[in-house]
Amino acid sequence: MRRTYSVGTVAAAAVLALTATAGCSSEAGEASDAGDKNQDEFVVGYSQANNAEPYRAQLNLQLKHFIKKYPKLKLLPIADAKQNSATQVSQMQNFIQQKVDILIVSPNEPAPLTPAVTQACEAKIPVIVLDRTVNTDCYSTFIGGDNYEIGKKAGERAVKALPKGGKVAELRGVLSSQPQIDRHKGFADAIKGHDIEVSAQREAKWLRGDATKIMQQWLQRGEDFDLVYGHNDDMALGAQLAAKSAGKDKDMKFLGIDGLAIPSGGIRAVQQDKLEATYLYPTGAEEAAKAAQDIAMGKDVKKKQVLPTEEIMSDNAAEIYEQFDMSGKIK
Amino acid sequence: MTGTLTDAPPPEKEAAPTPLARVRRFLPVLGSLQGYIGLVLVVLIGIVTKGDVFLNETNLTNAVGAFSSRGILAVGVTLVILTAGIDLSVGSLMGFCSMAAALLLVNEQMPVWQIIPLCMLAGAAFGLINGIGTSILRIQSFVMTLAMLSIARGLDREMSDNVSVGTQVAKPDGTLTPESEAFQKLGTPGNNVFEGTWLPLVGKEGIYFPVLAFVVVCIVFHLMLSRSTFGRHIYAVGGNPTAARLSGINVTFVIIAVFTLSGMLAGIAGPIDAAYSASADPLAGNSYELDAIAAAVIGGASLAGGKGTIVGTFVGALILTLLDNVLGLNAVSDNWQLVIKGSIVVLAVVLQRPDLFRRKEKIA
Repeated sequence: MRRTYSVGTVAAAAVLALTATAGCSSEAGEASDAGDKNQDEFVVGYSQANNAEPYRAQLNLQLKHFIKKYPKLKLLPIADAKQNSATQVSQMQNFIQQKVDILIVSPNEPAPLTPAVTQACEAKIPVIVLDRTVNTDCYSTFIGGDNYEIGKKAGERAVKALPKGGKVAELRGVLSSQPQIDRHKGFADAIKGHDIEVSAQREAKWLRGDATKIMQQWLQRGEDFDLVYGHNDDMALGAQLAAKSAGKDKDMKFLGIDGLAIPSGGIRAVQQDKLEATYLYPTGAEEAAKAAQDIAMGKDVKKKQVLPTEEIMSDNAAEIYEQFDMSGKIK
Repeated sequence: MTGTLTDAPPPEKEAAPTPLARVRRFLPVLGSLQGYIGLVLVVLIGIVTKGDVFLNETNLTNAVGAFSSRGILAVGVTLVILTAGIDLSVGSLMGFCSMAAALLLVNEQMPVWQIIPLCMLAGAAFGLINGIGTSILRIQSFVMTLAMLSIARGLDREMSDNVSVGTQVAKPDGTLTPESEAFQKLGTPGNNVFEGTWLPLVGKEGIYFPVLAFVVVCIVFHLMLSRSTFGRHIYAVGGNPTAARLSGINVTFVIIAVFTLSGMLAGIAGPIDAAYSASADPLAGNSYELDAIAAAVIGGASLAGGKGTIVGTFVGALILTLLDNVLGLNAVSDNWQLVIKGSIVVLAVVLQRPDLFRRKEKIA
């Protein structure tokens, strides 16, 4: 098994290396000193933690879209680590071997990816860390949303929606993941001191089907809620489906997070009145593309860019959907 | 399995017509006794801890409905396991078919009665390849279907661009399109089929389609296994392939057929799963193969082949889903649920060893 894997990795690396050589043929081939304005092409490598999450798929699309706006930037095929930190480390090392000019990474986990980021820094490749952090600060810039802030906003909405207090159900993401921890804590802090009780909570693993099943069990048990808070839109919508089948969806309000501009995403659900509100978790793709351009042009970039969220309710949903809709803009 | 007919198990002695012996003779058809003990235990725990909340039509429908797609996969996996093979690809095949169903619905506005046969065909085609690889190319089924797990998932994700596809397609006025409305009947919570027609046991409320589909699939495949020549051939191939070949059974055909049927069942489970969560997720069906195998094994199927029944798998699936429900209703934490479910699988398999309380059999 191991043997097959290593052969596969070598083959993949070889293919990647070939593509890179083809792509970089115009360059002198030395480690790039980013900031050389006379260079006519800057090769950008992007290592994604997992293509299969809708949020990350959307991020990939947006990044391709926004990088095209800068003619000097050339994005290599996006490397998908498939939720495996070891895979991601080796993909990062491939990019370093290829001597890309700028490296963008969305780390799967902070600790295992830290040495790879350090390696890139030592090879004098500027690194843009997107969405999740690493335990070193040698990178050029960090761009990401603030999950604690998002959870807090959702909590404040709950306080407004339930002026007389009430019971809340919370559907949590994978318990060990940082976004889950922050979205949970932000919400808890915001409702503190108000007459709002989280009377039921469970891990629904970010999945719609799991949330439906859990909500059905709660309702069966005789629990009643005034509001359901899902750590992402999928879980909030799964719970909404279960409540609807029990004829109780109109007695409850549903809050989700992510606000993806795709037909099955949260913004559409707000427009269809299934969700009371969802909170934009910005992908940072536009900012990452801009940061890459600035680095290439030798401009200074901010070390840390925390992207603001936006509360999406029925009055602004259509406009935000339009803004982030990537269908038809790529390919 | 040295290739002689003498290895075949000795014919059962004519049992004396005592009542106990009669019950025993039925057991191979009905699955193992221990399976029922487990089921009764789970149900008892449910009744004792939650009473009416547990033993309530809505709750049981919800519980079985949530597991239905995995249950249908378990039937297919049981067929494969009976021939001493394994099918690890069913979860991915189901994921592929759920995505295919959603895309056909959303992009082609195809009616549901066309979507299901197409999905079954697609699943069967994947299964056929599994079968050919296993029997003609002589790749071990574990390896062949592990590869197919990866292939089907890759195609699924490519097809969907890694984005989930919602199945509730709205017309400009906000109401659902007729095709999408019909698709909901496949299992979106709150939708039943045969509403308004009077049915025994359920009355006029109709039936939740995932439950109906699971039960019908079990009945059809139970009859096929227990009543048809093909069914007997499956047991024969799993029990002793050489003996089966010598007695004129087309072993290659039987193996290709069971993998094809398993794939076809994944094609039925796919649209149901998509309807259940009102969207097809590119990750749908991930690790479902493990639940399907667990259901078959708890139900008494032996990975060595030749032993197991559809009724057993049905009971195994019920145990898994009701256990999940009872633990959920009692607010047992998710971490402990994992521990408990794993332990139950081990316990069930140990209890099913016929030699557990007897002397050890000699190792062949």
